[in-house]
Amino acid sequence: MALLEVRGLEVEFPLRASKLKALRGIDFTLDAGERLGIVGESGAGKSMAAYAILNLISEPGRIGAGEIVFDGQVLNELSNEEMRHIRGNRIAMIFQDPMMTLNPVLTVGTQMVECLQAHRTISDKDAKALAIQKLREVAIPSPDKRFDAYPHELSGGLRQRVVIAIALLLDPAIIIADEPTTALDVTIQAEIMGLMMELCDNHQVGLILITHDLAVVSDVTQRMLVMYAGRVVEEGDTQEVIANPSHPYTKGLLQALPQKNEAGRPLNQIPGTMPSLADVPPGCAYNPRCDHADDRCRQELPELRALNGGKVACHHAEKLT
Amino acid sequence: MNAVIQKALASNFLYQFRHDVVAMTSAAVLLIMVLLAVFAPFIAPQNPYDPLQIDIMNSELPPVWLDEGDAQFVLGTDPQGRDMWSTILYGTGISLLIGIFAVMLQAVIGVTLGLLAGYIGGRVDGFLMRLADIQLSLSTLMVAIITLAVFQAAFGAQLYGELAIIMLILVIGIAEWPQYARTVRANVLAEREKEYVDAARVIGLSRLRIMFRHILPNTLTPILVISTVQVANAIVSEAALSFLGLGMPVNKPSLGSLIRNGFDYILSGQWWITVFPSIVLIILILAINLLGDWLRDALNPKLYKET
Repeated sequence: MALLEVRGLEVEFPLRASKLKALRGIDFTLDAGERLGIVGESGAGKSMAAYAILNLISEPGRIGAGEIVFDGQVLNELSNEEMRHIRGNRIAMIFQDPMMTLNPVLTVGTQMVECLQAHRTISDKDAKALAIQKLREVAIPSPDKRFDAYPHELSGGLRQRVVIAIALLLDPAIIIADEPTTALDVTIQAEIMGLMMELCDNHQVGLILITHDLAVVSDVTQRMLVMYAGRVVEEGDTQEVIANPSHPYTKGLLQALPQKNEAGRPLNQIPGTMPSLADVPPGCAYNPRCDHADDRCRQELPELRALNGGKVACHHAEKLT
Repeated sequence: MNAVIQKALASNFLYQFRHDVVAMTSAAVLLIMVLLAVFAPFIAPQNPYDPLQIDIMNSELPPVWLDEGDAQFVLGTDPQGRDMWSTILYGTGISLLIGIFAVMLQAVIGVTLGLLAGYIGGRVDGFLMRLADIQLSLSTLMVAIITLAVFQAAFGAQLYGELAIIMLILVIGIAEWPQYARTVRANVLAEREKEYVDAARVIGLSRLRIMFRHILPNTLTPILVISTVQVANAIVSEAALSFLGLGMPVNKPSLGSLIRNGFDYILSGQWWITVFPSIVLIILILAINLLGDWLRDALNPKLYKET
């Protein structure tokens, strides 16, 4: 059985008269030690899915339907206190901007020890030793000095390493990384991604990598999901999806990569923008931007169905491959 | 490295301080007044609380530089024959004591409620902020006058005299909590949207821990700034209440009760009984407020002054 299984997850925000659905039913699974990529445009619901897994959607948003099963427990039915023991402890999360995720007024060490003591009964001395060991694991030079440093004394790359060290502190089963390298320098990006892959392999940690960088996804992950307007439109083996995309949206994304374009010519782009979640068009949400859309696409919502080893939500997938 | 940066920060702060004449002067004045008040028992020539040291025959003597002045009483004496200089030293102490403790009480109540309102939000926020609105719509003095008058009537002047300091601290402390609560709440609303708070929740820290350990230290700057202003306000409130006869009793006077005490004699020529405590009160309040202004500017990086 999969370590994490998300079934029919819907997240909704009540409006005055109606509900705005940020996630419109997504399904996926993650096995222990597996690395899964989630890609999509801004607003597709990638981060929302991550927050939903940790039950941290801010009010008034809520999980409207579906369930998240982690290690035999239904996470969205746990009490706040039970959920608190999952967060950080069994499932950790890494955010986009390491400038913002560390508290500016507390030292790195304080924040690490605090995290340990929130979940385990451990003495200050042992906690410090463990924290320094983790700092060493993420290849921070002179970790015992950095332990007493404030976040502003560290560079962006070092800070993201500290954030990763905090995420690994309690040996979680899953790390959710929400665009962990977007705020970093390109050269540092590669280092950090390499480090995360290595650590996940060594500790058998499952990784959910949320990004819009297809290059990172293809380097790091084994499987990937493509999201569009709050739904999964394609799922499959990463290399397979990138080599032979089935959904027109995935194709569009891949066509838009600069590498796929001729030098000196305008870049290919998908015409239009993603619909606002307040008025998602009926039928396939992608139909207004799709070259292959017909009447069926405009009326009938395509279900995610198996195709060529992967899954795709398009009526015309067979014709297009 | 840590120590070096802290030193650099501190010295920048000190640098700004040393190059601001107003800040330096007011800090010096304040420091001198606090020291005088703290060491009053050793400095003052007379203990104004000890009836044995007071001789009614010495009452209403003018300051030493006037014709009838006595070298023993530099600033003259009051109607009970107490040395004005000694009484002012002790009175300043009482005023400062009430001011500081009242503000500490305000801060504890206000910061806690402000954190709760800002972080929990929703109905808790609505309830606490309406409570603050109600509190603010009743002026501090009004609340204080009613409470103290009722207390005085119910328990008699004797007991009231003994408990006056505690009563004043409680009344002024409770009446002004919304100042802190509103400021803290506004800051918490801004801080709670920052990612480090999300990160703290993701780590699985409890609400209380996030509020007091993560958000509170990030809102300390405005708390520090309003604290100075509030100390000055509390001292003024106490002086006003004492002036109205609801503050410190005559046998244990604060600056306010000294001013009131002398006010009855001002038209009969004994001006010094009122004027000297008034000057001390004005200097004290001015020094605190100027220091508060400087602190606000110095701690706000958006307000770099051109020097």
